Amino acid sequence: MTNIIDPIAELDESRVADQDVVIGKSRIIFRRFMRNRTAVAGLFIFLALFLFSIFGGFLTQWDKDTLDPLNIGMPPSPDHLLGTTQAGIDLMALIVDGTRTSILIGLIVGGLSVLISAVYGCTMAFFGGKVDATMLFILEALIMMPAILVVAVATSGSGGLKNLPSWLLLVVVLLFFSWMGTARLVRSLSMSLMQRDYVKAAKYMGVPSRRIVWRHLVPNIGSLLVLDFTRGITGAILAEVAFSFIGIGIKVPDVSLGVLIGQATGQVSSFPWMFWVPLTVMFLLTGSLAMMNDGLRDAFDPSSSSIGRAKTKTAKAAK
Amino acid sequence: MLKYLMKRSGIYLIMIFLTTSAGYFLAVSSLKPAVLEQEKIPRPTPEQVAASFRGLGLDPDLSPWERYIQWLWGIVTRWDWGRSPNGGYVNAEFADRVLVSTRLFIASIILTLIIGVALGVYSAARQYKVQDRVITSYSYLVHILPAPIAYFLVQLGAISINEAVGQRIFFVTGISTPGIEPGWPAFVDLVAHYAVPTFAMTIFGWAGYQIAQRQYLLDNVNADFVRTARAKGLTRNQAIRKHALRVSFIPVAQSIAFTIPAIFTGGFFAEAIFAWPGIGLWSIQSIGLQDVNVATATLAYGSVIFAIGAILADFATTLVDPRVRVQ
Repeated sequence: MTNIIDPIAELDESRVADQDVVIGKSRIIFRRFMRNRTAVAGLFIFLALFLFSIFGGFLTQWDKDTLDPLNIGMPPSPDHLLGTTQAGIDLMALIVDGTRTSILIGLIVGGLSVLISAVYGCTMAFFGGKVDATMLFILEALIMMPAILVVAVATSGSGGLKNLPSWLLLVVVLLFFSWMGTARLVRSLSMSLMQRDYVKAAKYMGVPSRRIVWRHLVPNIGSLLVLDFTRGITGAILAEVAFSFIGIGIKVPDVSLGVLIGQATGQVSSFPWMFWVPLTVMFLLTGSLAMMNDGLRDAFDPSSSSIGRAKTKTAKAAK
Repeated sequence: MLKYLMKRSGIYLIMIFLTTSAGYFLAVSSLKPAVLEQEKIPRPTPEQVAASFRGLGLDPDLSPWERYIQWLWGIVTRWDWGRSPNGGYVNAEFADRVLVSTRLFIASIILTLIIGVALGVYSAARQYKVQDRVITSYSYLVHILPAPIAYFLVQLGAISINEAVGQRIFFVTGISTPGIEPGWPAFVDLVAHYAVPTFAMTIFGWAGYQIAQRQYLLDNVNADFVRTARAKGLTRNQAIRKHALRVSFIPVAQSIAFTIPAIFTGGFFAEAIFAWPGIGLWSIQSIGLQDVNVATATLAYGSVIFAIGAILADFATTLVDPRVRVQ
């Protein structure tokens, strides 16, 4: 592993003199990402859905609170592009709202949990000893708790927690239980990185800790963190869908993709569009993130195949 | 080794105690069974409700701390996990529920692990070939499919098979048909009830193992020690089997600990969708009924399951990793 990373690190060090390291690196990452067709397609689908969730309301003149008594439980028609529910609510308006809730939950939980796990994991690895042991104890105790029960208790309780909107409550609980796995990974990765020869060498040369972290630790765990960000988004969206599907998690009047899918399961044969449309949107959402994952890993990984693949691509182009 | 396991078990016992206590406080402060009592007809007065709950040890007038002490004292002295608002004893129902869940999961846990690791090795050895692409894209597809929806789709599929054949081959809900004759008919009935949930949990369960095993094996296939082994004259397959495989299994063995609670979580969904009256369904239903004691007991059970998984993972790691020596 060491001999693979070293040349890159050396390259980095040699560039310090030119002061263009950050730009150079981000450009490399951008190019590597753009090289992966699947990942770019995923990015476009995700952006399209994001825009749809914000501006989709303009595609239909109905909103999610208005009933259309003339069209109750109607299949898709020019009037209602995606059909209506049994109550006569336009499905398009519901989908726009649900997608927005799901993306919001994903982004908040995914982003914050990566931050928490990176800080927590690095702190553990950096201080070691008693601090490490205590923090690991807390972390393992949290992993131990079955998150689903806490979600169920928090969202179906009638105590003080009821005052929060249900999606915010879900975000808090999901966030609380989503960062431990990555924090452990970050801890073990940075611990092993601290033992590497080049980090030791840097230490003995008197390079300040902050510089070592930035120059050696961050590039090496960066791919993990970026990957975990997209994976965290996917995980949060899926968890929301799963929980809402069996009736815990988000509660009406809040709308999410999970609520829409869950509500429709009873009548898949009589109102099929109510089930398949939100399911397709959820698939597009999580699928686009999964498509991006691979490209992001290639782009941010300092070792591994992305360099090799770039060479073969250029070799092919040369032919 | 034994001493090490004892020490780990001790630490996990403390953790279980802490998580269970935290769970109890959360449950006691957010679940209010008295609210549901108000919906009964004829509506009981608040005094009647409080009196009946006091008899069950669920006195709503006590502070959470007093109730915690009362509850803990019951467990420590009498191993009594308390009672439900409807008067049922947690202890009495617990064993049955655990048995139902274990019966449901045990086959799929083992199948998932074996199939997942085997497919991971198979696809890593054929990296970027058709087999690898098919298997790995399937695993990624499963990753973006939430468990309950996957189970629901399998259920729909089984129903449509039943309809196509015109006969009830698979039972998509429940654990057994009431009043079935013992012997061969009972066995057929058992298989018909098991088939759909086990199939669903297995085919949607192995993906994680497959991806992890493939990834770790690929990381090691090009390692120096594998190259050395090949230079010494081993074929590629021999080198992978004897040198790379063992090392690559270490992180997978460790991840088992973290997938066991995930199976438990998946179990909630399986039990909810397939209507198996196991511990997961029980806990979800009891939380809906604002039942503090059952919620806490199932939470404690989840923690215990995790601790067992973690200890097993430690054990597995020492077995496969030549570098780990336990003092």
